[in-house]
Amino acid sequence: MPDVSTETAPKVLDVRPILQNGGEPFQEIMQAVTTLAPGQGLKLVAPFRPQPLFQVMEGRGFDHEAREIGNGHWEVLFTPRADVAPVETSADADSPETWPDPSLHLDLSDLDPPEPMVRILAAAEELEAGKVLFAVLSREPIFLFPELSKRGHQWAGNFDETGTAYRILVRVGRPKA
Amino acid sequence: MPGATLSRWTMSYFAIACLMLLTAQGLMAAGYGYPAASIGAPETLVVVHVTVIGWLSLLMGGALLQFVPVLVARPLVGGRFAAPALVLLAGGLAALVAGFVALSGSLDLPLFLLPLGGGMLLAGFGLLAGVLAATLRTARPLPLPARFVAAGLVCLLAAVLVGAAFTAGLSGLDESAPLARLLADGVPLHAALGLGGWLSITAVGVSYRLLAMFLLAPETDRRTSRAAWWAMVLAAGLVALCVVLVLFAVSGVDVLFTAALVLSLAAVALYGGDVRHIYRSRKRKQAELNIRATFPAFSALGLSLVLLNIPAVRGGEGVAAAVYLFVFGWLTGLGLAQLFKIVAFLTWLEAYGPILGRMPVPRVQDLVEERHARILFGVYYAACAAAALALLAGAPGMFRGLVALQLLATLALAREFIRTRRLAVVPAALRAPAGMVQPHLFLPLSASRR
Repeated sequence: MPDVSTETAPKVLDVRPILQNGGEPFQEIMQAVTTLAPGQGLKLVAPFRPQPLFQVMEGRGFDHEAREIGNGHWEVLFTPRADVAPVETSADADSPETWPDPSLHLDLSDLDPPEPMVRILAAAEELEAGKVLFAVLSREPIFLFPELSKRGHQWAGNFDETGTAYRILVRVGRPKA
Repeated sequence: MPGATLSRWTMSYFAIACLMLLTAQGLMAAGYGYPAASIGAPETLVVVHVTVIGWLSLLMGGALLQFVPVLVARPLVGGRFAAPALVLLAGGLAALVAGFVALSGSLDLPLFLLPLGGGMLLAGFGLLAGVLAATLRTARPLPLPARFVAAGLVCLLAAVLVGAAFTAGLSGLDESAPLARLLADGVPLHAALGLGGWLSITAVGVSYRLLAMFLLAPETDRRTSRAAWWAMVLAAGLVALCVVLVLFAVSGVDVLFTAALVLSLAAVALYGGDVRHIYRSRKRKQAELNIRATFPAFSALGLSLVLLNIPAVRGGEGVAAAVYLFVFGWLTGLGLAQLFKIVAFLTWLEAYGPILGRMPVPRVQDLVEERHARILFGVYYAACAAAALALLAGAPGMFRGLVALQLLATLALAREFIRTRRLAVVPAALRAPAGMVQPHLFLPLSASRR
């Protein structure tokens, strides 16, 4: 199924040599993900089933299809889900998948704009630096993004499959002087 | 990085635009231009261009500098050119108007002012369109509302090019046969490209997004919206083709122009259906005044296009009434109604953005007084409809009186905008918490808040 939805041929990354040399392939994989064209998949070859990666890639909007290719080696095809909007992040939010679990959940989907923006900024003021809040809104909070960055917070967000709810994670930073 | 910030020069665009609207209505109330002068007289051209360039185009330009980044969720590219564009547009309009006055013979001014104004306007609009196009380019594939804006920008350039060619012909700078033909037959094409192509296609596109935003309606990509885009683009393309046919003296202009009008009517019907759909799928129970005050504008759009599709109206004196309804009912009504909300929102964000969430701040609706404004919009639209009827009935005295009433309503609305900018409506206890930024009336934001 995922093969068909990919128009561009998937990028192939074989991490076996890296692992053989005692290297750590995670950075390399994430690097490859950032260079993918919209809609392009990633074919990963590894000497084991890279289970932890599945969840990371899931968070980035990729489905996976893994098959064993002999000798215990695995080939995994990660395909971007067509129905999920790509995750947008603030410039300094390098890897949101490594952030701690949100300590606060806000459902703001029934509030009139710009009230969700006010609520998120207020909630961020209350949290300690490093904590994460999660909020659901009915639309993309375009004017919130720069205000978050100005206050030193990092964020990552995207629309859900239906395109009617915008989910955002905010990691509270230290206020910039 | 995605996101949009406050556009630095938008309020300056809006301020000059409002002054130009008041000027144009003042001129009409004073009996300058049509119907005292003929429809193509230089005096009428003064009023028309003060309205369409001074008011509507600066309003749209200022609004797009703010809302194109919102449409595509990308920051503005080349925002530093917004101010030079404004200077060129205001200066170009002044020179153009002076040139028309020279043409009317009431003042002894050099006719060279006409092409000078035309050239400055071409440069100013070129700069503005360049900034907006460069911003759109960063967000391809474009969402549908942004595709309307892109089409509108192309029409803007076409309209301005034809207009600049007119100034060369009218001033005697260029006396070639193609230009003479364009001067004779191209005026409706120039008007259609400007009022229909640039101002209306763009307004429709932005409204798809803003209506959904203000009504809390889901933004769905509807087939009818895409069909409306195609119909509008095709209509504009036919009008542009007409310009070429006129230049090369090829027949068929009437047929194509009629087809473009029919297509426009179809597009407006599709758009009307979409607006109705957005309104019905809204989550906000009671629409705010800026939306309710837009409904008469939609009616004016539909009615004026029906009128323009009737050959007897289009060919006769009725065309003035239909165009009046289009310009002052549809475009101006929509513009004033949205300004009411946009000024409040931008002022709120400018004043209280830095302290949001840190202390209590007023809500956006605390910056406006809907009760006052509702009455003013009522008076405005009633006067506008009656003024169009007076034109149709051939009652110039009545027309002037009704335009004066329309002018008074506009003045009072402008006063409401100023009160919003000054935070005068906000309850005193909430008005100025520590750390807020007092907005300037119309001068740009300080650099630190960009």
